[in-house]
This record gives sequence, structure tokens and C-alpha cells, in this order.
Amino acid sequence: MSLVAEAFVTQLAAAEPWPENAALYQQLKDEQILLSDNASSLAVQAFLQMCNLPIRVVCRANAEYMSPSGKVPFIHVGNQVVSELGPIVQFVKAKGHSLSDGLDEVQKAEMKAYMELVNNMLLTAELYLQWCDDVTVEEITHPRYGSPYPWPLNRILSYQKQWEVKRKMKAIGWAGKTLEQVLEDVDQCCQALSQRLGTQPYFFNKQPTELDALVFGHLFTILTTQLITDELSEKVKNYSNLTAFCRRIEQQYFEVHDKDSSAIAARSAKRSLLR
Amino acid sequence: MAAPMELRCWEGDWGLPSVHPESLTVMAYAKFSGAPLTVNTISRSWKAPKGDIPVLISEDKVISQPAKILNFLRKQKYNADYELSAKQGADTLAYIALLEEKLLPALLHTFWIEAENYCSVTKPWFASRIAFPLSLYLPGKMSREALNRILLTKGGPPLYSLTEVEAQIYRDAKECLNLLSKRLGTSQFFFGDTPTTLDAFVFGFLAPVYKVCFPRVQLQEHLKQLPNLCRFCDDILTCYFRLSVSGHSPAGQDTADANLQKLTQLVDKESNLIEKVTFASVSNYSAFCGYLFTDILAWQLQLYNGLCFFSTELHCVERQEEYYITWKE
Repeated sequence: MSLVAEAFVTQLAAAEPWPENAALYQQLKDEQILLSDNASSLAVQAFLQMCNLPIRVVCRANAEYMSPSGKVPFIHVGNQVVSELGPIVQFVKAKGHSLSDGLDEVQKAEMKAYMELVNNMLLTAELYLQWCDDVTVEEITHPRYGSPYPWPLNRILSYQKQWEVKRKMKAIGWAGKTLEQVLEDVDQCCQALSQRLGTQPYFFNKQPTELDALVFGHLFTILTTQLITDELSEKVKNYSNLTAFCRRIEQQYFEVHDKDSSAIAARSAKRSLLR
Repeated sequence: MAAPMELRCWEGDWGLPSVHPESLTVMAYAKFSGAPLTVNTISRSWKAPKGDIPVLISEDKVISQPAKILNFLRKQKYNADYELSAKQGADTLAYIALLEEKLLPALLHTFWIEAENYCSVTKPWFASRIAFPLSLYLPGKMSREALNRILLTKGGPPLYSLTEVEAQIYRDAKECLNLLSKRLGTSQFFFGDTPTTLDAFVFGFLAPVYKVCFPRVQLQEHLKQLPNLCRFCDDILTCYFRLSVSGHSPAGQDTADANLQKLTQLVDKESNLIEKVTFASVSNYSAFCGYLFTDILAWQLQLYNGLCFFSTELHCVERQEEYYITWKE
């Protein structure tokens, strides 16, 4: 059934051009959104900017519940709703825009492998840090996650989410890891990305691809979000080509296209947290 | 460096040194790097397998996961990645992540969750290697853990039933096999002429799929159509494990390329199923939906019949039966 539904969606997607009022939904930027969701949302925004597709960001407290797969961000285009970077890339491809067409087969395989590496290590490490590290959970995650809701709903929702994430960590074998081991994994992942990037402007030389968008989303969020300690962002700052990469993409795609002053103000407020 | 190292892992069968993917990875790496390991397989003794298998015991250190065991071996100067460049080292990590995300769920499903496979092959095999009271409990526990892992990592909305999750994970696994085949191409190992960590991981994951004889084998059939991967597994078994492989003559390179192209198209077509069926005649959305949901089985059977022309050994025939059975239910 789902194969048929997917193909149907693809067919519909191909029929219409990209509308002007496409919207991307995420949680409330200043009070509610967490590190991992912010990273995913920024990755999608970067990807759409790279494809030159206009999108406006709408912040809603219940974005997670509106999403068809339960994960943010999701985009609302025409009369279709698509969530998460993978399906969004396919959806945009069905509409005729693609960043990875110029790659040959081996490079496409590499791109997919590196995207899995980022999802497997960076995203899981972010989830671990914000839901399984007790200090961070008490001071940052619980207050932020339930902030739009009154007591006791805010505590119940955040405990429920924490239980779900901990179950998943246990199933994939990360429950037994300590914070140091997780940070070491992040370091290994950043080292691999840094070695792959080398001195090139983008991962596949001249043109950005969805891999660049994904890496930018995660690294920029790690660099600019203030947590209890700076250990996570220090791991990324160790690799100067990665920080230069983030700065380059930010300058090229977010300062040129962003005429909205409030968006720029938000970004500069975030950057002032960067010590 | 001369400290004796003992590896405890599951036994082998069907021409393999071990049927457990992680144990096989560690054993392959040890052979590649020349590390002297004494392999002790778990037999029917009271030394129950506590914790994760494989386990490396060296002096007083006990190390359990494959990644950690490989790190330990590298620290002991048994390094198979010595000649790799920095970029190749990064590629290794990326491809290992790809294997764990895309191929491992389907592997776990084939071994532990597919009912016929589990009841007729996996459970009796593992139960016969574990001491008596535990043999009644441990295989069931391993099966439940595998199901848990698949549902938690792959099973969220919009996939609501186990069959949908299964369809998705097998699609991902076949795509992963195609990608690996493209990456391997015609070379003997993934990074030139000497095997490395990536070869150990790929061998560890592929060899059980390739060799173990199961009743329901859609992944194995897909793998057998990628002759360079089959040749890769056979080469490692003959050269590094000195095990004879049954006569399997891989097709020539042209047929290999043609097969790979067909398989890639097939996997893509499975994702864009209805492209073959014309939409043009139906313009009204609601009428279309009505048609879609009432006649869906006829479409799918027709489509799979069409797709069957592309390959003789196709799992779609099996799928046809599956859909027919669901309809009957």
C-alpha cells in the first residue's frame, strides 16, 4: 500500500511547479526547539536555498504532531506535506530540481554513505546529549521541550519523549556509552568529514549537494548553540576547514537571500553565543 | 604484543567460519592484519554467553563490540589500514555507517524475524549450540531484541504495519547492495589489492546472507545477481580462511554490468511503481482515489507480472503471493 501511495505522491508532485507560498514548519525557535531538531531544520533550509526554491519558515508549538512522520521539519507545498530531509530531497527531485545529478554512480554511493554517517553518528550523539545526559536534560531539555504547555503537561510530554529516546538508544547499543565515548565518536565523525572535505569548497568539489546541506545544518547548530559545556562545539572547532565550510555556506546562502531583518537578528543573536 | 588473545564467538556452518556477522567481521580482520587469535567457539558448556558476542579476552581485559575489538587490535600494532590515505579512512567510516543503517536491519530480519527462517533454521541452530536450560530462552530473546531494534529504528509513522516496515528495509538493503557493488567495481578489494577494515565489515555482513541456506531468501537471490560481491566473498574464504567454496561460476563482466543496471532499475521502479500505469485518463482526484483503493490488487498483480519480464529469479513472484494472501485475509 505504501509503495502505491508513494508513487502516487511522486506523480502529483511532478505535475505542479514549486509554488510561492511553500512553508517549512518547525518548533518555536527561541523557547522550544532542541539541538537535533534545529540541526535537521537548518539542513532542509540550506538544501532548499541551494536549489533556489523559496520557502518561508513557520514556527508552531505542535509542529512535531503535525508532521506525517512525527519528525520535524516538514514542508507544506501545494497540497502535499513531506517531512525529513531524505523524502524532501526525493520530492524536490520529482519536481525537477536536483543537486546531485552531475555526480557519477560511485560518487552518489559515497554521498549516500556520508549522509548515513552523519545521521548515524552526529544526530545520534546530539540525541544522546540532550536526552540521556542528566545535567543537560534537567537544565535545558525539560524546560525547553514542554515550554508552550502548562504544568503538568510539559513534564509529562518531556518524560514521555525521554523514555522513547532512551529505548531507541538501548536498542542500538548506545545506552551503555558514557559521555566521553559519545564525544569521541563525534570527534571521529568530524575527523572523517574534515578529511573528506580537505581543501575543497564543497564535498563534491564545485557544486554543493544535499550532503553539504546536511553537514552544514548539524555543524552550524553545534557551533552556535549554547549548552551546559562547550565540549561538543570544541570538538568541531578543532577542524578549521569545517568551521570555514560553515561560514562559507552561511555567507553564501543565508546572508544574501535573507532580506528579512528579524531572521538576521535571530542569527546574530545565536552567533553572539559563540565564544 | 605477545599476550595471548582469545576470541569467543559463534561457530560456523555452511562453509563459513562463523554465522554471526559481527564475529565474522572480527575473524576476518584478524586474518587480514595477521593477529594471532585463538578462536573458541561457544559450545554446549556452562560458560554461558554473557553480554555481547564476540568477546575478545586478552590477559585481564574483556572487550566486546567489533569496533572496540578492532581498535584494540590496532593499538596492539595489528593494523590492516596502514596504507590507507586519510580520505580512504574517512570513506571506511562512512561505508560502515551505510552498512549498519541499511543492510543490518534486513540481515536481522532474515535471520531472526522471518517466521519460516527463524523456526526452521536459526532457532534450532543456535539452540543446539547453547547449554540446556538457556537454549530454551536465549534464541527467543535474541529474536525479540532484533525485532525491537528494527521497529524502534525503522518502524515509525508513516509505516504502520510490520509488512510495510519489512518492504522498506528490504528495499533499502537491496539499494545498499547495489551501491556496494558499484563501489567495488572490478577491483579485488575495496581499496586496491590489500584487504582493510572495510573489507572485513562488508565480508562479515555479506557472507552470512550469501551462504546460509534459508527457505525465504530474497536478499540472497539479489546478492547472487551481483557477481563481483559474490566473487569478493569467495576470494576471502579461499585465500584467508582456507575453506573450499562450492563451484559457483560468476558471469562475465558484461552480464555483470547488465545485471547491475537491471537491478538498479528494478529497485528504482519499486519506488516509482505507478509510472508504468497511465494516469492521464483520470483527471478527477476523488474518482482516482476510488479507483485506486478498490482495484489496487489488480494493478499490483498486473504490474508485478510486467516487472517479472526483467528477471527470472525475482522475489516479486513471492511478493505476488504475499499480497494475494493478505487479500484473502
